[in-house]
Amino acid sequence: MANLLSVQQLDKSFGNHRVLHGVSFEVATGHIVALVGPNGAGKSTIMKAILGLIPTDGGRLTINSQPVSITSHQALKQVGALIEYPGIYPFLTGKQHLKLFANKTQRTENIDAIVAALGMGRYIDHKAKSYSLGMKQKLGIAQALVNRPKLVILDEPMNGLDPQAVKDLRDYIRQLADQGTSFLISSHILSELEKLADDVLILNHGKIVQQSSMNDLVTSGGTSYLISTTDDVAAKDHLRRAGIQLAPTEKITLRQQEGQTLNQALNILVSAKIEITDIVKVQHDLEESFLDMVNTKKEDN
Amino acid sequence: MGTLIKQELYKLVHKKGTWIAIVFMLATQVCFALLRKAFPKFFLLTSLVSNDYLGGGLYLFIMIASAASIIAMEFQYGTVKQLLYRQYYRSQVFISKLIVLIIQLVVLQVLASLMTFNLTALLFPSFNWGMAVGGGQTLLQQYFLAMGGNALVNLLLLSVVILIATLLKTNAAAITSGFIGYFISMAASSVLLALISRWHWLRFNPFTMLMTSSQIMTPKLSTITLMSTPLMITLTVAYTILFTFIAYFSFRKRSV
Ligand SMILES: Nc1ncnc2c1ncn2[C@@H]1O[C@H](COP(=O)(O)OP(=O)(O)OP(=O)(O)O)[C@@H](O)[C@H]1O
Ligand SMILES: [Mg+2]
Repeated sequence: MANLLSVQQLDKSFGNHRVLHGVSFEVATGHIVALVGPNGAGKSTIMKAILGLIPTDGGRLTINSQPVSITSHQALKQVGALIEYPGIYPFLTGKQHLKLFANKTQRTENIDAIVAALGMGRYIDHKAKSYSLGMKQKLGIAQALVNRPKLVILDEPMNGLDPQAVKDLRDYIRQLADQGTSFLISSHILSELEKLADDVLILNHGKIVQQSSMNDLVTSGGTSYLISTTDDVAAKDHLRRAGIQLAPTEKITLRQQEGQTLNQALNILVSAKIEITDIVKVQHDLEESFLDMVNTKKEDN
Repeated sequence: MGTLIKQELYKLVHKKGTWIAIVFMLATQVCFALLRKAFPKFFLLTSLVSNDYLGGGLYLFIMIASAASIIAMEFQYGTVKQLLYRQYYRSQVFISKLIVLIIQLVVLQVLASLMTFNLTALLFPSFNWGMAVGGGQTLLQQYFLAMGGNALVNLLLLSVVILIATLLKTNAAAITSGFIGYFISMAASSVLLALISRWHWLRFNPFTMLMTSSQIMTPKLSTITLMSTPLMITLTVAYTILFTFIAYFSFRKRSV
């Protein structure tokens, strides 16, 4: 499948502060790509660069094979975005915001469709200054989606949305993606992204540290066991000395590498006369992959 | 570009302040015309008429507020990203805002003038627009000459207000500094003239150009501004363009 968005070797510094280091990735047509990373990792900066909002120090950005930069915006015609927080004119109603940015073709249909999809009908004709946080957020998302763009960039779109709204949004994004819209979405709510995204990019300190499909990431992580004992410190010590790998967490977290790891570990603890109080089986998910990636990085430093 | 201008106009006409300001300006004109009718001794009719029954001064304030907010509000409301990530360039966004400001300026001036003509015809039917005044001109000619001179100076002021607005984060701050700047420069004009008489080269500074409209009406002023009227007009236009360019670069450099 063709790649709609391509980011190659993107570099960016703010003054002496290097924020992005050779970031490269692609977003395929009709794919939902999750961009995750700790605060300050550079997610919003990548998005702003793609939108031609900030100058970059190197690299190549293309949308539909057309180059994009701060001085070349033609390709952005097919892009909708919400970056950081929604921009709202308090003196306009929600409907007027959408009218302001909607293209002429099918204006009314597009506006009605997005208002219905996000459940904004009740207050769409009220002035935006009376909106709650979540209502503003929905309006920001609606502005990004109203023109049915080919590429949608959403920076923390779930901010302030209630559980029902989160589900509605997720369903709508899925529906649009199935119709061929591509999405690049950043969020800190990893459980949401796990349900939604096809591909994952994990960003740390301005570098992509992991890039794979969501499926691969979740299955490759495999299974872990969380073991509780009466003396965790001594237990960890015995396990490490026996050459068993533990995840760098406070609890005893054991990666199931081959079938034998758990048995081996339990044997060691039993012979060391450490009382085991609990064992929990954990299926690896995005959150853990994320924490692993980010924490490994920290230990390297 | 047409789309951008339409979007700016859409925002302008949906702001309550735009309409309040127009109503306020027109109401002030009616008030002063009626006052003149009731108390003919207190006001000189010709000077009221040439000042658009005080509407002229008011519309400058409206424009200062409008110029400051058309730029600063985008940063204050966080809407600037939405504005800039589309297929348009920053230069186009900036120019569309300038064009809308000029449209607003023209509309306000036309409204103020229409009101002046109508009020005069209605309340003071004997007022003679064809009356000869100094310099072989009629009152009507002088009225339009003053309008042109004021437009020049107003544009210069507005270019500075826009420049300030690109540097500030909020609407209120931009509008306030626009007003304060205006009053300071007006109050400083006599000091400035004194300084010019001492250091002649000072005459080329931009503040002197705020007197261009006065010199157009009173050519004798050239003895204290030490500049011919055509030179002053040229410099006024040049400073306006210069400040607008600086404002553009400041707008372009601003991080979003
Ligand atoms: N305009 C700017 N000037 C200077 N530094 C900046 C600017 N914008 C961002 N940065 C820096 O770039 C880094 C990345 O910021 P960015 O906003 O991209 O992070 P993020 O991944 O979006 O974080 P968050 O999850 O908190 O939204 C941060 O260290 C930040 O301080
Ligand atoms: Mg961010």
